[in-house]
Amino acid sequence: MANKSGKAPMTSWEKNQFKWGWIFILPTMLGLIILNIYPIFATVYQSFFKTGDFGRGNIFVGLQNYATMVKDAEVWQSLWNTIKYAIIEVPFSICIALVLAVFLNRKMKGRSVYRAIFFLPMVAAPAAVAMVWRWLYNSQFGLLNNLFGLHVEWISNPKIAWISVAVIGVWSILGYNIVLFIAGLQDIPHDYYEAAEIDGASGVAAFFNITLPLLSPTIFFVLITRVIGAMQVFDLVYMVMDRTNPALPKTQSIVYLFYQYSFNFGNKGYGSAIVMLLLAVILIVTVFQNIGQKKWVFYN
Amino acid sequence: MKKRFAAMAMASAMVLSLTPVTGMTTMAADPLQVVIWDSNQQAGIQEICDLFEEETGIPAKVEVKSWDSYWQLLEASASGGDMPDVFWMHSNNSQMYMKNDMLLKLDDYIEASDVIDIENYMPEVTELYTWDGSYYAIPKDYDTIALWYNKTMFDEAGLAYPDNTWTWDDLYEAAVALTDKDKGQYGFALNPSNNQDTYYNTVYSMGGYIVSEDHKSSGYDDPNTIKAMEYYGKLLTDACPNPTTMSETGTDVLMSSGTVAMIMQGSWMIAGFLQNEYMCENCDVAILPYDAETGVRTSICNGLGWAASAMTDRPDDCWKLLEWFGSKEMQIKQAELGVTMSAYNDTSDTWVNCTDVFNLQPYLEIAGESQDEGVTNELVLRPYTYNTTIWETAATNAFVEAWADPSKMAEVSTNYAAQMNQYIAQENN
Repeated sequence: MANKSGKAPMTSWEKNQFKWGWIFILPTMLGLIILNIYPIFATVYQSFFKTGDFGRGNIFVGLQNYATMVKDAEVWQSLWNTIKYAIIEVPFSICIALVLAVFLNRKMKGRSVYRAIFFLPMVAAPAAVAMVWRWLYNSQFGLLNNLFGLHVEWISNPKIAWISVAVIGVWSILGYNIVLFIAGLQDIPHDYYEAAEIDGASGVAAFFNITLPLLSPTIFFVLITRVIGAMQVFDLVYMVMDRTNPALPKTQSIVYLFYQYSFNFGNKGYGSAIVMLLLAVILIVTVFQNIGQKKWVFYN
Repeated sequence: MKKRFAAMAMASAMVLSLTPVTGMTTMAADPLQVVIWDSNQQAGIQEICDLFEEETGIPAKVEVKSWDSYWQLLEASASGGDMPDVFWMHSNNSQMYMKNDMLLKLDDYIEASDVIDIENYMPEVTELYTWDGSYYAIPKDYDTIALWYNKTMFDEAGLAYPDNTWTWDDLYEAAVALTDKDKGQYGFALNPSNNQDTYYNTVYSMGGYIVSEDHKSSGYDDPNTIKAMEYYGKLLTDACPNPTTMSETGTDVLMSSGTVAMIMQGSWMIAGFLQNEYMCENCDVAILPYDAETGVRTSICNGLGWAASAMTDRPDDCWKLLEWFGSKEMQIKQAELGVTMSAYNDTSDTWVNCTDVFNLQPYLEIAGESQDEGVTNELVLRPYTYNTTIWETAATNAFVEAWADPSKMAEVSTNYAAQMNQYIAQENN
C-alpha cells in the first residue's frame, strides 16, 4: 500500500485489468478502424484521383475533382436541399418529441402502450417505411389524396416535394427522440416540481423554468446527433423519388448525389470529393453548435 | 469464477462472430452462387438449376437483386476479388467487365465442348459478349418490343385494334381518340426512362440513331432523332397523363390499372403481366407501328449472357452450369416455362406458345422478314458504348425537362447530344 509511485511494476491485479480492458474494447476498436477510420482516409485519398474501373488504374488529378465540384451547380443545389431538409426535420422532430415525452412521462393509463406506438417507426426498416409513404403520397392512387379528395402532387411537385420527404423524416425519428427525452426527464429530481407547485407555478411555467433547463444537456445531445443525421439523409429520397421525378433536382440530398456518382456512374473520385464537402459542412455546423451551447445548456 | 468464465465465453463469442467462416466455401457440395436481377424469372431459372443438380450433383442457388443493387454488388465484388460464381451480363456494362478480365474466358471450354456451338445462337447477342475475338458469356435470351393495348377501351371507343397496317400517325390518332381527361383515361404513357422499350424504337424507325455505329458519338442531335422525340412531345401534350403522375406511378402500373390504353413494353415483362388479373382480362399485344416515310418497322433488341467469374475457385463447375444453360434442351425449357425468348436459334415458337392469354406472335414477327408490302422489319441492338449507364442516366435526367414542357423537346435533345459526347469522351476505354 505504501508504494504509490506510478513507476512501480504493475501488480498482477493491475496487469489483469489492463489485459482485460484491452480485450473488451478490441472488437469495437477493430470495427471502428476497419469500417470507419480506414474508409475516411481512403475517401480523402480517392478524392484526388480519377478512379479507374474496379478500383484499378487510378490516375492522380490533384484538386481537379474539387475544382469541378465548386463549379457544379447540381452539388450546391443538393447541399441546399439537404439543409432545407434539416431545417424541417431537426426542429420539428425535437419540439414534437419533447412535448410528447413530457406527456408520456406522467402517470397515466396505457403509458407503455403509447410509448411502444411512438417508438414503432424506429423498429420498421427505413426502406419499408419510405415505400409505404410513397404510396400514401401517390397523386393517382394514394390514400392521402383519395381520403381528402385532393389532387396534390405531394412528391412530384418541386415546390412541396422536399417538405413531404421531410415530414416522413420527422415521423420516423420521433420515437427515438422521445425515448432519449424520457430518459433525460427521469433524471430530473421530483423535488423541484413539488417546490414549484407549492410556490404556485403552473404546469407551463414549470415546463419552461424547470424541465427545459434541466433537460438541456439531453436536448443538446439530440440536436447534435440529429443535425448530423439529417445532413446525411439518403434512404428516404432514394426510395421515395423515382429518377424521372421532376421534383428530384430540388429534393435530392448531397449523399444521394454522392451515391449516384460513386455507385451508379462508377466515378468514385468525384463522389469522394462530394462527400468531403459534406464532411466539412457538418464539422463547421457542429463546431458552431458547440460554441453556442455555452449560452443555453446547463450542466448541474 | 463462474462470472469470469461467462465473461470469457462472451468475449470469445464476440471475436468468433467477427471472423468470417472460411475454408468451407470450396467444398464440392456447396451450391454455386447464381445472381440475377429479374424476380419474374427467378422461379424458371431455379427450376433449370434444379435439373442441373439432378444431372451433375452440383447444386446451384439463384439469388435476385434489384437492377441497381445488382450492378453495385457485381462492381464491388469484382473490385474486392470475390464475385458470385455465375451471373447475367448486359450490354450496358459487358465491355467494362470484359476489358478488365473480370469474366471467365470461355474460348477453350467452347472449343472442347460438344454441347455449345456458338453458331447456334443469335449472332447479335454473341457479338455483345465478344471482346478481342474471345467469348466471355453464353447467350441466354433475346428480347424485342411490342405494343400493348387495352381491348376494352378500344371496344368502348369503337376503334379497331392496332395491327400491322399501323403507322406512328395511326398510333397518335388512336391515342388522342382514347384520351378522356375527365374520366382519367389516357391514350399512351411513357417516362423519360422508357428508352429501350419505347422511344429508341421510334428513333430508329424514323431513321435517327442514339449512338453512332462506331459507338463513339451521340445521335440525339440528328434531325430524325429529334423528329421522333418531337413525335413523343405531341403524344405527351395530347394523349398522356401528367409527367408527374407517370413518374410517380410507372407506365406498366398505369397500364395494368386501366388508366392508359397503350404502352410499349419488352418481351421480358410477360411473366409479370401474366400474374396481373386486369392485364390478362383486358389487354393484348400488337406489332409496333412503322414509319410512313421510311417504311421501316424497328424493334430494339437486346440479349443477356450467362457469364462466370474469372476468379472463381471452381471454373469447371461454373462452365458446366453455363453449358447447361446454353444447351438446346435448357434453352427450349426456358422458353417453355415462359421465362423469356431464348437466344438459341429457332426456339422462339416454343416461347410464343407458352401462354394463350396474350398473343405473343408480334414479339417474334418483328424479328423476321416483313410480310407487309413496302415495310421492312429491322432489329437494332440496344445502343451501347463502353459505359452506357452514365449517359443513359444523364439522358433520363435531361429529358425530364422536356417532359414537363414538350415544346422544348428539340432544344433539350440537341443540348443533350453535346453533353453525351462529353461523357463518351471521358470513358475509361
